[in-house]
Amino acid sequence: MIRSVYILGEQGNIVYSKDYAKSESAESIVEFLVNLTQFLRTVDLEEKTEFMNLAAQRFFYAVKGHFTFVFVADKADDSSQMEEKMEQLVDIFIKDFSELPDPATQMDGFDAKVDEIAVTMVKVAILGYAGVGKTTTLHLLRGETLPLVHDPTIGVSIKKLPEEISTANIVLWDLAGQSRFSILWAKMVANAQVVIIVTDSTLENVLRSKKLVQLVKDEVPDAKVIGIANKQDLPTALTPERVGQILAIPTYELVAIDISYRDRLIQIIRRAILEGKAEAAAA
Amino acid sequence: MPDAVFVVQLDDLQGFVVQKRHPTTLILSEKKLNLIFYEHQQDIEESLKVSEIEDMQIASYWDERHPGWFVCYVLRPDDDVEMIREDLTSSARFILELMKEAPDRVDLGEILQRGSGLEVLSEEQLFASIFLTPSTALLLEKMQEEGVERAAKLGIWLKDQIQSETIELREAMAPLMDAGIVKVEMIGKTAEVVFLLKDVFSYRAPPVDSLSFALQSFPGIVEDYKQRVGAFFTPPPPSKGYNPTLPVDDPNSPIMEDRRKLSGILVKSLYYKILKALRSRPMTLAELEEKTGLPNEVLGSVLWTFESERIATQFKEQELWALVTNPTIEAFFPEYVLPLVSTKISEKQISQEIASRYLDHLGRTWSEPA
Ligand SMILES: Nc1nc2c(ncn2[C@@H]2O[C@H](COP(=O)(O)OP(=O)(O)O)[C@@H](O)[C@H]2O)c(=O)[nH]1
Ligand SMILES: [Mg+2]
Repeated sequence: MIRSVYILGEQGNIVYSKDYAKSESAESIVEFLVNLTQFLRTVDLEEKTEFMNLAAQRFFYAVKGHFTFVFVADKADDSSQMEEKMEQLVDIFIKDFSELPDPATQMDGFDAKVDEIAVTMVKVAILGYAGVGKTTTLHLLRGETLPLVHDPTIGVSIKKLPEEISTANIVLWDLAGQSRFSILWAKMVANAQVVIIVTDSTLENVLRSKKLVQLVKDEVPDAKVIGIANKQDLPTALTPERVGQILAIPTYELVAIDISYRDRLIQIIRRAILEGKAEAAAA
Repeated sequence: MPDAVFVVQLDDLQGFVVQKRHPTTLILSEKKLNLIFYEHQQDIEESLKVSEIEDMQIASYWDERHPGWFVCYVLRPDDDVEMIREDLTSSARFILELMKEAPDRVDLGEILQRGSGLEVLSEEQLFASIFLTPSTALLLEKMQEEGVERAAKLGIWLKDQIQSETIELREAMAPLMDAGIVKVEMIGKTAEVVFLLKDVFSYRAPPVDSLSFALQSFPGIVEDYKQRVGAFFTPPPPSKGYNPTLPVDDPNSPIMEDRRKLSGILVKSLYYKILKALRSRPMTLAELEEKTGLPNEVLGSVLWTFESERIATQFKEQELWALVTNPTIEAFFPEYVLPLVSTKISEKQISQEIASRYLDHLGRTWSEPA
């Protein structure tokens, strides 16, 4: 995945930078980049994208005009995919921004475009107490048949979502709801862009789940948080409106054991990802 | 010793990633990795834990310098953990450092077979880490001026210096406490007080031991070696040579920039291991490999850094590597605090009780047999 994007000017000055995930040590990366730019001025890359390894990371870079473009990515990343993304980045920047007298201060609109290029992975975390239907929801999204026997999740179960939901890779973190695993929650939601809080729509459970909303807002304030009022097929279910009022987050109805809810749920998650991005950009 | 080992990283996006495994046929379930992770949830410092996970006895290692990373050994039925705890811990440290430095070069099978390991951080390394956190280095300077100070006052001072409300005094202070430079104590019911117990001096020492070893055993390089060391410490005029005692604000002072650089090298345990080996005597690459258990490529790149930082030099013909300067950090008794304390008492800035506690601590710190 792309961890950071940097665009450097002629003097090795940083014209643009954005971090998508923590990398080993930000400080030495900047130092390294400045040296890299100086070095690159002495060679001709012929506008090709090259890369260089530094410990577990891989730096992809290209030069065009006065500017050096860098992705801090992982060694495991596919280099042809990175090359393609690099071309997109260079094109957009050169076309729309490089002519500006002071690009560093006039980059409105550029951020969103970089997001489109660089975000290759979205983390969606599903949180909720034991037995509310988190794992069932995950199966529903993946279009898998449900196991007959309830098998409580241990710790966290991490699965990819099918591509039809989004062009980015979505990794879904299904967190175990048993209280003995609750000490993991804070750490496990780190860096999530979307958090789904699942309730079984009983009053008792929804009230308890308010705590989860708080935890998520504390741990990942930038994440988009949505609620799920699951088990709407049961007679005791509160309405989704009621659940949403109590949790104070946008909340949607669901019957996770009913396959006909799949498309609706996919729409909800897709929207949450987009809205999450838009909110992050506005902030 | 166990013959199966694996390295796991909990990545914020991708989840549990088994970065290395030996043998490669080892099969691990997400559930196992979860349970191992769970075992270490409450840990705040280095720990090796043994747990029965499904059908496996696993010893798992975690430390605070490599958050998210685990080294796990699959124990054999006849392994006595208490007998091998030290070895497992030291080998796990080695693996994690090598994963950071050169992940491609990590060969778990070879590491197990050779018994490569790393010791716990030395006092010198703990000292070095102080200079790598700007707010900590700043606190040390402040403590040199104060000797003893209330934590609350230091907290306010630090926030003001850094111009940040979020800076945590505790965090900035931690490296100083870990290294035994300061002691923090409650005096009375409400006053948390910080005492400066040691000061440290960081410099490049001449490689005395290595030189005298060369004198005995490698007469062929001695003249050249002496000359290279001399070129650093006492070059011919107009160069001034190396004088670490020049005050920090002197433009010729080698200290500030160099200290940070040397500290950065000392804290890296793999670098430190090589440095330690070279402190005693010049060595060939093969001897260094034997002594440190590090793969050739890693040795090569560290020695290259040493060479460009004027720490080591190579005698090509004899295939020997030797120190030209020996990065050193030493603790010393901060005698300058004594007059500070008496002024503070007379100006009623500190109580008699605090002053006598301070002298007590200083006495205990410095009277212990070395
Ligand atoms: N009636 C009903 N049962 C559900 C629904 N969703 C999940 N369940 C059941 O609730 C139980 C717990 O589900 P699970 O997904 O394992 O919960 P988790 O602990 O949150 O992962 C299972 O027996 C599911 O079949 C639903 O929408 N309606
Ligand atoms: Mg579950």
